[in-house]
This record gives sequence, C-alpha cells and structure tokens, in this order.
Amino acid sequence: MVLLIVGALALLAGLMILSGASPLGSLVTLLKGSLGTPAAISGTLRETTPLLILGLAVFLALRAGLFNIGAEGQFLLGAVACTWVNLRIPGFGGLILGTLAGAIAGALWALPAGLIKAYRNGHEVITTIMLNSVAVYLTTALVAGPMKDPKQDSPTTADLVAGSRLPWLYDHAPVQLSSALLLGLILTALVALWLRKTVAGYELQAVGASPGAAKYAGIDNRRVVLAAMCSSGAIAGIAGVVQVLAYEGRFYAGISPGYGFDALGVALLAGGSAWGVIPASLLFGVLAKGGTSLQLDEVPKGITTVVLGLIILVAAALRYRKVSTDV
Amino acid sequence: MTGITKRFGAVTALDRVDLQVASGTLHAVVGENGAGKTTLMRILYGVFGPDEGTVKLSNDQVRSFKTSRDAIAAGIGMVSQHYGIIPALSCLQNLILGAEGGAILDIRSAETRAQTLATRMGFEFDWHQDASTLSPAGAQKLEILKLLWREAKIMILDEPTAMLSPADSDALFQSMRKLASEGATVILVTHRLPEVMDHCSRVTVLRGGKLIETKDVADTDAKRLAALIIGSSSASAAPPSDAIAPPAEIGAPMLELKDLVVRGVRGEDALKQVNLNVRAGELLGIAGVDGSGQRELFQSILGLVRAKEGQILLGGQDSTKLKAIDRIRLGLRAIPEDRHEEAVIEEWSLEQNSALGLQRLEPLSTKGLVNTSARADWAAKVAAKFNTKHGGLKLPMGSLSGGNQQRFVAGRAIESQPKLILAFQPARGLDIRGTADVYAAIRERCREGAAAIVVSFDLDELIENCDRIVAMNHGRIHQPSANESRDRDAIGRLMVGAV
Amino acid sequence: MFELLTLTIVLSAPLILGAMGGFTSERSGVINIGLEGMMLMSACVTALAAAKFGPVGAVGLGIASATVLSLLHWLATQVYRIDHVISGMAINAIGAGGTNFLYGKLSDPSHNGSISHVPVALFSWLAFFVPVILWAYARWTRGGLRMLAVGSDPDKARLMGVQPLRVRFFGLLATGLFTGLAGSQLLAYTGNFTDNMTAGRGYIALAALILGGWRPVPAFLACLAFGFFSALRIQLQGTALMGAQLPSEAWASLPYLVTIIALAGFLGKNRTPAGLGKP
Repeated sequence: MVLLIVGALALLAGLMILSGASPLGSLVTLLKGSLGTPAAISGTLRETTPLLILGLAVFLALRAGLFNIGAEGQFLLGAVACTWVNLRIPGFGGLILGTLAGAIAGALWALPAGLIKAYRNGHEVITTIMLNSVAVYLTTALVAGPMKDPKQDSPTTADLVAGSRLPWLYDHAPVQLSSALLLGLILTALVALWLRKTVAGYELQAVGASPGAAKYAGIDNRRVVLAAMCSSGAIAGIAGVVQVLAYEGRFYAGISPGYGFDALGVALLAGGSAWGVIPASLLFGVLAKGGTSLQLDEVPKGITTVVLGLIILVAAALRYRKVSTDV
Repeated sequence: MTGITKRFGAVTALDRVDLQVASGTLHAVVGENGAGKTTLMRILYGVFGPDEGTVKLSNDQVRSFKTSRDAIAAGIGMVSQHYGIIPALSCLQNLILGAEGGAILDIRSAETRAQTLATRMGFEFDWHQDASTLSPAGAQKLEILKLLWREAKIMILDEPTAMLSPADSDALFQSMRKLASEGATVILVTHRLPEVMDHCSRVTVLRGGKLIETKDVADTDAKRLAALIIGSSSASAAPPSDAIAPPAEIGAPMLELKDLVVRGVRGEDALKQVNLNVRAGELLGIAGVDGSGQRELFQSILGLVRAKEGQILLGGQDSTKLKAIDRIRLGLRAIPEDRHEEAVIEEWSLEQNSALGLQRLEPLSTKGLVNTSARADWAAKVAAKFNTKHGGLKLPMGSLSGGNQQRFVAGRAIESQPKLILAFQPARGLDIRGTADVYAAIRERCREGAAAIVVSFDLDELIENCDRIVAMNHGRIHQPSANESRDRDAIGRLMVGAV
Repeated sequence: MFELLTLTIVLSAPLILGAMGGFTSERSGVINIGLEGMMLMSACVTALAAAKFGPVGAVGLGIASATVLSLLHWLATQVYRIDHVISGMAINAIGAGGTNFLYGKLSDPSHNGSISHVPVALFSWLAFFVPVILWAYARWTRGGLRMLAVGSDPDKARLMGVQPLRVRFFGLLATGLFTGLAGSQLLAYTGNFTDNMTAGRGYIALAALILGGWRPVPAFLACLAFGFFSALRIQLQGTALMGAQLPSEAWASLPYLVTIIALAGFLGKNRTPAGLGKP
C-alpha cells in the first residue's frame, strides 16, 4: 500500500519535473488560487456545488452496489429539460416546474441502465457510458438546433430571466455565494437520514452489501436496483438544474467539463456515509479551481485530472484493505 | 504425512495427524463432517500449507507444497467435492487444461489420447461439446480422466460418489481398483462405510481433527469402524428420547406443497411434482445427497424462485404467488445454507444483521422507519439465545468466527416468533454442543405450535433429531414406509433412488 | 464508392485494434474500460516522440506508454484488488489529464508531431489480421486455452495449476500492445495530436467487443460496421437523406444505441465471460 502511495507521488513529481515545473511551487499556486482570497474561496464553492450534488447521486447508487457512471448524461438531460421549461414558463413557477422536469429527465435517462441491470444483468457501467455519449450528442443537437438562441453564433440557448434563477445568498462580486450550495447541503442531509433511518434505506444498503443476503431477507433486489438507479438519476438531474439555475443561466454544449467522472471520485472518497460527500467534493472543488490558476502559471490543467485519478486509485486500494482486514 | 497440524483462526482443524499410504492401494480416509478429512487432503494437494508437519512422497523427498501447481508437478491429483469443471470450455479443453503438452495445441492427438483413456475406463464423451451439458456423473468421470491425463500417481477422491447413482458408483470403484492394480495410489475420502468395506484395502479414521486409527479393512467391520468414527462417548449415548417419541401434538397444516414443479438453474425441472405436508408441531428432516433438489425446494417455499406448476400453501392459505417479504410476514423464517452469501453481511454490525429479514416487522420498524433502540435490544436477545461470543453488538459480523455467526443466524430465526422454520444444514460450523442446542430450540418452537423443515446431508443428524424423515432424490420426495421410518439403510436407499 | 470503402477501413482500424486489446484483457477476466485512456496516451506519446525518435521509435514509445497504463491496471486490479471499473476510470483520468499535461509542456511548436513516414495502410492491414490471429490463438494454443479458462473461472483454473495472475499479466501486456497500435494509427491518420482526440473510440471499441459476444471475429465485424457508419456520416455531411436532414449527432449516437439494445438482450444470448471482474 505504501508502495502505491509513494509510487503515485513519485509519478506526479516525475511528471512535474520532467516538464520543468516545480512540484512545490505548483502546490502553492494551486492552494492560493483556490483558498487564498475570499474571491478564490467563492469560486471554489461554485466548483464544489455540482460536484457535491452529483457526488451524492453517485454515492446513493454506490450504496446499492451500482456504479452510476451515467451521472454525466443525467446531469446534461436534467439541465436541458430544466432550461427548456424555464424558457417557456419564466419566473417562480418555471423554477419549480423546471426543477421537477430536470429530476424526471435525469431519472428517465438512468432508467434503461437500471432496467438492463435488473432484468438482463447487463453491467451498468457499460450502459451508462453508452448513455453518456448519447446524452452528449442529443443535447448538442438540441442546443445547435431547436433550442438554439438565433441571436448567438455558438450553440447555446437564450439566457433565462432573473426571476427563474436561484437567488444569491451573498452577492458582492467577485465574492458570491449561491443558495444552490445550501440546497446541496440539504439534499445531503436528506440522503444521509434516509439511508440511516428508513427501512427502504436499510434495504437499499443490504442489496449493495450482499445481494444474496438481501434476497433471503425478502428484499426484491430488482426493484431496489431500479429505484436506486432512478433516484440517483433524479439527483444527478437536479445537479444539472442547479448548475443552470444558479450559475450558468442558460444551457450550452459543453456545460459539463466532465463533472460525472469527478463525481465518481467524490463518491468513492466519501466512504460509508453521505456526510463524507461534503469534504470529498470540497477537495475536488479545490483541485478544479486551483487547476485554473495553475494554467496561468503555464502548468497545464490536466495535471489535476491525473491527481484525481491517482487519488481514486489509492482510495479504492485503501478501501479494499480495510474490508479485507475486517474478515 | 507426519505430524500435520492446521489451525483456522482459533479452531484447530488438524492436530498432529499422521497418514501413511502404500502405493498401489485404495486407501480410505473416513470420519464425520468436520473431522478434518478434506483439510488434510487439501494440504496434500497444496491448496494451503500445514502449520506444522511434513509431507513425504515415495522418493523420500520432503516437500511442502505451496501451491497446487507444485503438487501437480509431483504427480498428485485431486477430484474435489465441488467440481473443477469449467462449463464454458469444451470437454477436451477441460481435460487438457494445465497439462496441454506444448505451446501449440495438438487437438487431434489430444483427442486420440483422450479417447484411449476414456475407452480404458469405459467412459464415453463428446469431446467438443461444452462441459456445461455434462450431467453430474459425467462431470465426475471427466474429473477422473483429468487425473489420468496428468498421469497422477497419487489420486485423491473427495466424496466421489456423492452425486452418482449406485450403478455409476460401482463402475467408478471398479475402474479405481483397476488403476490401483496398475500401480496408482488412490486415497478415497468418504463417510459411506459400505464403500470402504467393499472396495478399499486400508482405512484411516479421523475424528475432531485427530488421527484415531489406521487399519487393514480386512481386520475390521462396519460396526467397529462406525464406533471409531463416532467415538465411544457419543456412540453410547442414546438418542434423545423425545426425538423418537411422537411429538406432543400434531396440529393444523403449516405447509402444503401440491404437485410443485420448479425449474433449476439449468432449465431442467429441479422439483418434479413434489407433494409434502408439514403440520404444526412437526420437525421434518429432509435427507438426500447434495443437489437432489433441496435448494430449489427451499427457495420456492421462501418465494425466491417461481413455481412452474403446482401450489404452495402456508398455514392453509394459497401463497404460490406471494412475495418473499409477505411470506416472512406470515411467519416463515430461514436459516440459509450459505451463511456468508445468504444469511449475514459481514461488514455490517451485529445489530444491523439482527434485523436482516425482519426489517419490515414490528418492533424493528414502524411506518417504514427503523427503530434503532428496539433493534439494539433485539440483537442482544439474538446473541444471548445460543451464547454467541462477540466483542460488542456494534462490531462487524465479520469479526465473529463462523460458528458464532451461525449461532447468531439460528438465534435470529428461532427467536423471531416463527411459524415455519426452514433450516438448511443448521449445524454447519457448530460443535456437538451447539448442534444439540439448536435442534433443542427448534423442537421447543415446534412444541409451541410452529413447524420446522431441516435439510441435512448428514442422515444420522436427522435420525437423531427429527420427528419424521423423508428423502429427496432427483427432484422427488420419497416417504419411507411406516415400519422403516427411522431405518438408516431404508432411507439411504431412498436417497439414491433405489426404491 | 471506393472512397467510402477506404474511409471505412481507416476509421475502423483503431476501433478494431482497441477492441482486440479489450479482448485479451476481458477474456482473461479483467474488465477494461481504460482502453480509451491507453489509446489516448499512445497517440500523445507517438506525437511527442515523432520529432526525436523517428516514426518507428515513436510508434514503439506509443505502445510502451499504453503498456505502462495497461500494466498499472493489472497492478491495481490483480495485486491491490481494486474494483476493475474504478481502476479503469482512473486509467482514463490519467490518460486524459496526463496527455493534456505532457503535450502542453513538451510539444514542439516547430514540429507538428506527425508520423507521416509510417503509412496508415500498414495499421489497416494489421487491424485486419489481428482478429484472425487472436481467434486462432484462443483456439489452438496453450496460452489461449489458459486465457479462456482464467476468464471463465479463475478459482477452478488455479486448481488445475494455472496461475491467473500470470495469465492476466500477459493478457494486459497484449492490451497495451494493441491499444498502443490503435493510438498510433489514430495519430498517423489525423496527423497531429489534439486534446481528447480519441473522442470515445475506446468506449466504442469496448461496445463492439460486447456486441461481438467477446469473440474476436464478430467484434471485428462490429467495428467495421461502426467504422462504416462514421464514414457514411462524413460522406453524407450536409446532404439530405430520405427527404430529411438527419443531424450528424444521430449517426454518432448509433454505435452506442445499438450496444444498449444488445445489452438489453435483444440481440441474442448473453455471452459475458463468467469470470469477468473476479479476483
């Protein structure tokens, strides 16, 4: 294990030195860029919000033993559905209906993966990867075609009116704090309590921990798999909604720079409790925000993705070790 | 093999066991379940190493095999209880795997050689067919050919006849004797004494991980061997009187199966027109060799597999279409076969495990919400029932030994106001004391008006503890006639379908 | 028409090579969604090395870099027993981030990093031969038999004296070779490296493998079909089909949709290797 961690660090330092950048200097830049000033912190929190909600979505599926790699596609569908509703029904009604539409769209986009897993035992990772690609093409086609704002050259929708957007809690640019973060925290609390306090949550985790034992406990594994996949999709859809309503104010091609993948890392790092999603998403938020500062320092942003990959590997290996020492 | 000791955690599976086997003989290793037979053989085959002791082969080389690969290289082959046939490969591919004889496969000459070996043994195979199409007997035969293919000098057969018909078993032993006469050494692990008496030349008895005796078969008889296997103390103890005496009251029917047909995993009819009645107060034992349809019977009663035809009545109510959770609500409780996969979640705490299967019943939950304090009390009660040794109810189940996990699982089923208990090998992993306790508790529930069905592959355990015994064979249930209802041999005949 | 044919071959070649990399990995029991990252890494390293080491050296280094990632996957899944999917995701992250970083830092603007001396046709020939070779390998060799056995049931294979760890090591070594070739081909075809230039081809290769029931020749045919549709898309760009102009995204989605339908079991029986993902 030590070997793996040392190896990961060595690889990272090696990459940096090979390319003529100073590892320590880059770390300082990264931390300054993400936590150094109030504006930086507010930017980090902005990056954290979608990762928090998406991470929660992936976490919930993970508790049922499912790898929802499809969070990316569900996010896109949620975002596009919400935008579509809000462009037609501006104001508070659109905000509510749009959120609902986004959650439903996310759930529906997860449904095929859930069905194939439950009834055909097709691996959800493969189906969700496929669905992600289809989602990218579908939303791109929508935003380049029927939903495109004719006044714009690039594939994007028109801006939403201020009334249909999530309010700022604190708004003195460049320091801004959106109510979206609060919403994410509330969702986290709900999921954590639901898993702990309800029989349905107990059953979902039983299926994730041991499908055989769950079956003998009278639990309908297929229904749980289906429900978990769709709930996860709905939360991912809400993450897309929040991204549009709180930060972007419109939908455009490439609205997600790969949040879905980062969310898997967040969920894996979170450990056994939904509360763990909060620090994990914050860590990823720091890397995302700090990565942009690195770029100004002429260190390509890709290095943070490498760091994420290594974190995921080490976290997963540590997890295995923990399980194996219990036995 | 000299002074072999093997410990699993706190349990000593083998305690300074010696075993000498002369070449060119059929040597039997006998003992009860858990006597250490299989463990000893696995050490010989290099599945794991011994904690103490040495293994010595004829060429005087002392070797401790670290992997099966080493053992195979030294000319040792094993046919284990769980078949080593890979269903996705063809029969020929299975045969040659691991001993292909070159980087490029010479299919034609391999087939010729395989055919020669098969003919010598009187077997027949379609070599290019998938092994998944083989019957249990066919798979067993292929396993034996695998040993011949590798020219194994020492062959270990672990319960080879468990799934074979009497005719197939006889044929198997004939070929084994033939091989022995040609110089091969065959070690037979079994708990069927007639096999030993009829076919083997020497026999070693193990009990509780200790070597009891090694004898020439000619110098002993089945009765004396049985006494050695069981041990004098428990052999002299009479079976509990209340087991043989009719139970206090036979009440209303708790379970009725009417012409039940259930499909097995391979699509065949695993249960064929099964009819069975179990009444309140009754403790029914189901005898049979592994794979006779017991698993499908249990799963269909629990509602985990669908019935293809026929009816299941629980407490007089047609429950054929009832969901598993609703059957639990009717008072159905299970002690599943595979503790690790079906009964507990090892990463979860004892408290969380105590609610498994009962999670939707009062007081463990009300209106869909978990009642954690009720669950804590319940877990303490379950653990206390059979003296489960644990370091705290918040600790993971995986921190308990297998026997203690089994106590917990049995306690959970028996204490939760069962109406019908389904127990699959409930004594697995338990010592004699624990086994007696569990059966006593089940009987107590039956006397209070519940019913119980116990599946075991150990006929003696059933004869000792059950009110009534039926035998399963190839998906059918056979009732012994009234005057043979506790006759070991009669039930044994039913188990292998020799009606 | 001829143009369509050559385009089909050129576009299918990286898919075929990628799918064959998936074959040697998945048939020995290692789930591999990291094909994408390995192909990408190879393309990047080939581009970076082209100026200094010449075309052959560049392709060799490309293959080596994909192999490093592939063996990292082996280490993670077999030695550290990490879930195969998680490890694959991490490989893809390292591939995507690492290439962005390396290319951003090391690329030489005066040289476009193309390997024009290596003809694309060479890769295409390879892509047509490898599936047949692998088919024969699985059927007629000891290594092939052991690969199938380990992929089907590692525990039983172990009892027969086969070492799953070793078999999988060689399986993933081959995965490195084939995904490396796939990445180099991609670069040879496009001429220079761009961020995320594989654009999901690793996933499509995996999809083709699944569609082909984890068998080399059917998987090869699936890749050809995918390549054909991509070629058709390029040819039909802007022209109306049956009266309506289909957005190019619809064509692009086709392989994914077909795979989902296949996984739903509408295209014959499930042939998933039984030992996939087992330790």
